[in-house]
Amino acid sequence: MKLPYSLFSRRAFLNSLIGGWLAALGAAFISPLVKYIVPPTREPDQVSTPLADFENMAPHTVKGFAWGNKPGFLKKTDDGGFIAFVGVCTHLDCNVSFVAEQRRFYCACHEGWYDENGLNVAGPPPAPLRRLAVSVEGDALIIKKQA
Amino acid sequence: MNVLRAWIEDRLGLSAVTGFLAKKDVPRHKHTFLYYTGSSILLFLVIQIVTGVLLGFYYQPTLAEANASVVRIMTEMPLGWLVRSVHSWSATFMIALVFAHLLGIAFTKAYRKPREATWVTGVLLLGASLAFGFTGYLLPWDELSLAATKVGTDLPKALPVVGPWLTQVMRAGGDVTGDTLSRFFIFHVSVLPLAAMAFIGVHLFLVQRHGMSVPHEEERKGVNVPVLPFWPNFAFREAGVWLVLLGLLTTSAVLAAPGIGPQADLMAPAPQGIKPEWYFLFMFQTLKVFPARVLGLNGEMFAVLIMMAGMAALLLLPFIDNRPFERKGKVITALAWTGLAYAIGMSIWSLL
Amino acid sequence: MNGRRRMIAAAGIFLLGSLVVSGVPEARVQETPQVALKPAPENTPGQETPAAPRPPREQMAVYVLLAWVWLSIAVLLGLLRLRVREADRVFRMGLDRAAEKTPRGPGY
Repeated sequence: MKLPYSLFSRRAFLNSLIGGWLAALGAAFISPLVKYIVPPTREPDQVSTPLADFENMAPHTVKGFAWGNKPGFLKKTDDGGFIAFVGVCTHLDCNVSFVAEQRRFYCACHEGWYDENGLNVAGPPPAPLRRLAVSVEGDALIIKKQA
Repeated sequence: MNVLRAWIEDRLGLSAVTGFLAKKDVPRHKHTFLYYTGSSILLFLVIQIVTGVLLGFYYQPTLAEANASVVRIMTEMPLGWLVRSVHSWSATFMIALVFAHLLGIAFTKAYRKPREATWVTGVLLLGASLAFGFTGYLLPWDELSLAATKVGTDLPKALPVVGPWLTQVMRAGGDVTGDTLSRFFIFHVSVLPLAAMAFIGVHLFLVQRHGMSVPHEEERKGVNVPVLPFWPNFAFREAGVWLVLLGLLTTSAVLAAPGIGPQADLMAPAPQGIKPEWYFLFMFQTLKVFPARVLGLNGEMFAVLIMMAGMAALLLLPFIDNRPFERKGKVITALAWTGLAYAIGMSIWSLL
Repeated sequence: MNGRRRMIAAAGIFLLGSLVVSGVPEARVQETPQVALKPAPENTPGQETPAAPRPPREQMAVYVLLAWVWLSIAVLLGLLRLRVREADRVFRMGLDRAAEKTPRGPGY
């Protein structure tokens, strides 16, 4: 279908070509910088810690371990197994602590409470503490991200 | 769009600036290409600031962490090696252009009245650029940086009276230590940028105020020198030059990225084959070949004094050559060529 | 007007699309775990300066970037040449000054 007149002037076309290509070149220069300013995630895929440190815990007690840059908590259950949490409050990312007498996790920032299984029971936290998968391999405890 | 323009115009009155730029003319002659050098320096300075800030996101300026943080930038951060490579290469390009700019002005005698102040701020900017290079070189804190800084900060000691004190000020003490690193860092990211911005402001204002100078031969032709309007004729040509420079920068940065050496050890002997950055090579070589004793006095002191005299002469050139514009200035031209040949010759010699 | 905007939009999308495509190999590298890095040599004292380590797949991405940069420069230089020639023509004909002064013939 042949048009009776041009849709736009040659000038406008060339201007958009220059502008558009310049923008694309500029974006090509900027994109590595944009990638650079967000460092890759620092959370480890798994953490290994000697079993000996945690063997003699009584049930319903909690001990801390390092989960990358965040605190982790290992809780001994009744049947001698472990459950692991990421000790970071689901409200606004403050680190939580375990109050042994109450068997609850407490977040001091806005007075949030989690029970001993990580379930959010009081205060602003909207979700339970994040769980991690624990397994015993030889003399080491392997803690992984839950699938 | 026009509403926005009117809003800004009512409050900032920028039409004075844009009106000036719209009318600005650039003389057109066989040396017009020299006019590109100044703005190209600005281009690379902006690149330096951007990449420098980005490097500063992850660099840690302490004795314990400096080298490790640079290694981290190059290995862990996405395209960190490229950011560092661009910063390093852009420094080279910028300083090369500063030298080219200086030579262009010297050859065309553009430092003469009324442009003396422009020249003086320009030489101060040259000093600032070299200081940027010198302070930046220490920051990765590898063997080569430490050795180069030790040598570089040792030089002022040879000066009479203030020498040893000057060295102590530069090094933050008698030796190059973590304190030296902190001092160099704050100079590189704060003191020198502020000083450079101030000098650039004065320099640019003066350049716009006086307009572009025309080499004497052109003026002697008797007719009005043909001109190019700055916008859009000269500006578009300049954009083309910038594009090519950016392409060269990207190519160098990608294909010849710098590495990093092992962490500096304050107790270790100097590594083999130390040399400063290319822009200091000719000074380095001069010091190497200067006789140890001259007329019974310390040779190094002589060499440093001669270098300082040279720098002073450079700074005060418009007051040394204050002849009227009509005189061709053959002596200065010859001196400029000699200086260039000397610098290139000594640099090549130092690499052999 | 509608048609012109459509064409400009199409040109813009084409250019942006090619930019995005050029970024895909790079993005893929970022997603792979950093284990893909070439192992850096052991840093024993007095060792040679290790060159900038680069993930092998990222190397392809930067060559693509380099090719794109030079291609863009060539195209933009060509387009700039058009504009420069036009600006010189306009200047020689005195058209840019015609608005301020009384109209003059060419060559004045």
